Amino acid sequence: MPVPLLGAVPSPPTTFDGVTEALAVLVLLVVFAMMREALLRSQVRLYAFQSLAVAALAGVLGASQHAGELYVLAGLSVALKVVLVPAVVLRLLSAAEVDLAGSHRFGVATMVLLGVVVSVIGFLTVSNIPINSSGINSLPVPALSAAAATVLVSFVLVMFRADVVSQAVGFFSMENGVSVASLVVAARMPLILEVGFLFDLLVAGVAFGVLMRAHHRRSASLSTETLDQLRG
Amino acid sequence: MQLPPAAVQALQVLVVLFMAPLVSGVIARVEARLQGRRGPRALQPYYDIAKLFRKEMLAPEGASWVFVAAPVVAFTSFLTVPLLIPVLTDFPLPLGYMGDIMGGGLILALGGFSVALAALDTGDPYAQLGSSRAMTFGALIEPSVLFVVFAVALITTTDLPYAMAAVDRSSLAQALRPAHLLAAVAFFLVVLSDTGRIPVETHTSTLEFGMIDEARTFEHSGPALALLKWGSAIKQMVLYVILVDVFCAPWGLAGSRQLGGVLLAVPVLLAKALGAGTIFAVIDNSFSKLRLYKITEFMASAFALSAVSVLVLYLGGG
Amino acid sequence: MSAVLIVIMAVPLGATVVSWWAGPRLAGLVTVLAGTATFGLAMALVPSVARYKDGTSAVGALGNWLRVDPLSLVFLLATAFLYCLTAIFSVGYVAADRAATRVYRRRLFAGLNLFAWAMAMAPMVNDLGLLWVAIEVTTVVSALLVAIEGTDGAIEAAWKYILIASLGLGLSLLATAVIYHAGSFSLGGSYDLSYTKLLGKASVFPAATVRLGYLLAVVGYGTKVGLFPVHTWLPDAHSEAPTPVSALLSGSLLATSFYAILRYYQITERAAGAAFARDVLAGFGVLTLLLGTLYLASQRDLKRLLAYSSIEHMGILAIGVSFASPLAIAGALLHVLAHAAAKGTSFFGAGSVARKLRTKDLERIRGGIGLLPWTGPMLVAGMLGLSAMPPFGTFRSELSIVAGGFAGGPGANTAEEAIAAIMVVLATLAFFGLSWHMGQSMLSPVPDSGTAVVKGETSRLMVLAMAFGLLGLVVLGVHPPAALDHLLNGAAAELGVAR
Repeated sequence: MPVPLLGAVPSPPTTFDGVTEALAVLVLLVVFAMMREALLRSQVRLYAFQSLAVAALAGVLGASQHAGELYVLAGLSVALKVVLVPAVVLRLLSAAEVDLAGSHRFGVATMVLLGVVVSVIGFLTVSNIPINSSGINSLPVPALSAAAATVLVSFVLVMFRADVVSQAVGFFSMENGVSVASLVVAARMPLILEVGFLFDLLVAGVAFGVLMRAHHRRSASLSTETLDQLRG
Repeated sequence: MQLPPAAVQALQVLVVLFMAPLVSGVIARVEARLQGRRGPRALQPYYDIAKLFRKEMLAPEGASWVFVAAPVVAFTSFLTVPLLIPVLTDFPLPLGYMGDIMGGGLILALGGFSVALAALDTGDPYAQLGSSRAMTFGALIEPSVLFVVFAVALITTTDLPYAMAAVDRSSLAQALRPAHLLAAVAFFLVVLSDTGRIPVETHTSTLEFGMIDEARTFEHSGPALALLKWGSAIKQMVLYVILVDVFCAPWGLAGSRQLGGVLLAVPVLLAKALGAGTIFAVIDNSFSKLRLYKITEFMASAFALSAVSVLVLYLGGG
Repeated sequence: MSAVLIVIMAVPLGATVVSWWAGPRLAGLVTVLAGTATFGLAMALVPSVARYKDGTSAVGALGNWLRVDPLSLVFLLATAFLYCLTAIFSVGYVAADRAATRVYRRRLFAGLNLFAWAMAMAPMVNDLGLLWVAIEVTTVVSALLVAIEGTDGAIEAAWKYILIASLGLGLSLLATAVIYHAGSFSLGGSYDLSYTKLLGKASVFPAATVRLGYLLAVVGYGTKVGLFPVHTWLPDAHSEAPTPVSALLSGSLLATSFYAILRYYQITERAAGAAFARDVLAGFGVLTLLLGTLYLASQRDLKRLLAYSSIEHMGILAIGVSFASPLAIAGALLHVLAHAAAKGTSFFGAGSVARKLRTKDLERIRGGIGLLPWTGPMLVAGMLGLSAMPPFGTFRSELSIVAGGFAGGPGANTAEEAIAAIMVVLATLAFFGLSWHMGQSMLSPVPDSGTAVVKGETSRLMVLAMAFGLLGLVVLGVHPPAALDHLLNGAAAELGVAR
């Protein structure tokens, strides 16, 4: 006996679409997990995992388009974002003997709810902009919605965390969101530009590390509670 | 031979009625085994219920008819839900149109509500503590349940649980679509919370700091307590059945009213429920209970998952 | 002429390497040489680029990866001029600082050179993506320079700066990707983002996509320009950094980041209509101007005062570009040059005063002119320059902007006229704020109890740098060279194309 349905069932995404969308949504969910995670070390590991998902996305895209340059990009991303940058930050954390857990300005539940609201804004904005995937077999547009939501939720993470490592991790995860978005809309950007972007991010990461270290040396803590002298 | 629909429907209810304590018992034994103990026998809950039926029922002074009626109301409402969900068959039986997913949710909530009301009726501080906590956390998990229902409804354009199962079976792509996976995980978290498992509540002990559901039944005794215990086992099995038969593994259900198919569906159902229960037992042993304040984080995470699932579906096209 | 571009690219980079490895004296000398050379080379480019008309006579090099058209040359000139002055100033600044360690000097000089290199590269690269890379490099280098003093305030300012600026640049990276996407419909799946290509096909880009990219770029690069509401890092960073760095930050970096916005403006003009592009800039400009002026009056810190003045002037820049008349746009571009000179001079003076009196607190600075017979009056002149007084270049530029707003006869465009009127009012308020503080601190008599402070200049080089800055400002105001006029008109023509 057939089950009565009220309308046509929306067709599921194709395998390629589904896998890439799942990875993009995973990137978004990791940011939510970062919100929950109190231990700074775990946040950094979550970031490494998120970068791995982004590299996997680039790899999947490269496989479907038979574009070797995307493999290179994926490999470089793994080397820089999964290995190097987390190592830099973890080194700092092991040097800092106090402050292994971050401080929140609001409770986690509030931040998660705020994150959900902000994700809705991101999804709504992208769905109202006419974006077509550049060329066949580029990442599907839903991945762009997830990327936009990732960027916005990372902003929430940066704004409502009160220690330098959480803020830096928030910034890095925003960059991951931007990477996913650029994979959707500009996947065939010349490799030289993509490599340039990646190395720039590495340099920014190093600068973040230097400043975090300086902050830690100066105030013997990683909290930004002391960074409120300059006002007006 | 073809069974009459009424018989299949009755069989659904009876299967849940009699298999539920077994599921509880097996889970307890598995958990004990994982902890290195021998654990109680798998059929222990049956013996417990039988023993309780033989005992005398006492009511505290000042308790009204609510106290006596509540266990019966809870029991019957929990038993009503198997009429609505795909337990043995993959097609809706005549009474299956009585309610959809939301209706099922409402009836389950009615059961929980009546137990909480009875707890308030007793005037016992622990019971009131438990019932107020239970109602609060129940209210907090509601948005996640709603969004899961929305996700299901958006995928299948209806919210009959049978439809969701049918759509899942139709192709692997449908089963693995991101929104469905997210909704399944969100619902998994909801079941964790509704059946009082780690990380929301410790199922095995009654710590005053953390107990929610256990505290509500403090004042009941005798047959009333038996009904409550049985009822909570039934609720647990019903939630497992929904999780498994609607979201995760909707295979193995009978395709028609043939006797052979229907009878085969019974052990398949049992196996699936026990599988789900084992997963919950493993989780019980792997994580620690959250502090009461942190349970809101858990609820918020479940909500975030279900909200993202709806977003991906509605605004994302997945 | 292409060789000039390559030399401009190589010189500051070489200076960075030398200043890192050599001793402080050599580092200082090399920095000054590099600055002067860069400025000279940039000026040498003016005659050839000023003859620009419809895409001809832009100077290109390296297979058009580097390209200087009038718009880029304006910003390159501003950067190079301030680079030269700052180099001179910093030699004197570091020499007079007894507490400066060898490491500090090395870092400062190498950092200044690298910073100037990145800021010079940004207008020269002919690619939207490389532009982003250049500006990101400026962010990183300047953040480290802000933190160089190592005090609590410096670390706080540097952290805020790098966090907010990097977040903004993340948005602008997204903007680059979006514009790339908009172009991919007509330019194919894989192409380089050179301006010539983009601007050639911009009119057929999908409008909504370009609008999104433009907004992202304005907000993203706007964090580096100091537009409201993402300006919050600016007062801290500019006041906590050492003076040469503050001068470069305020005078050049803000303008260079604005240049990035202007490139997106050009694309949006052609793709989505000039009205939208202009409205966005006008909105942000007015808010920024308002915010800068309002905060100006209540400042207690000398360098923060100048930082808010920078915010105000960036608002004026945005407003100037948002007017339709070429007069206003040319005025805005002149303002880039004049503001660089005025802000540089003022920061140099502020640094000298702060060094002399060992405090940046305006309540405690008294008798500036008496204590510093050269720096004092020049600082007063610099602040007057910031208030757009004649005979300074800022008067000419702001007047052009306001006149452009009223161009077309009365009642032609009420929105522009209203904005121009608001600008006049707010600029006057800023003048009041600046002159109040200036009068209190500079023109008051030297306090008798200040015997611990020795009268007289700390360093002749610092004075020299200020003098050159003022000279440039006056030249721009009284009689800008004709070639410069041609250059500005050519750049304005680039910006005010499709209607």
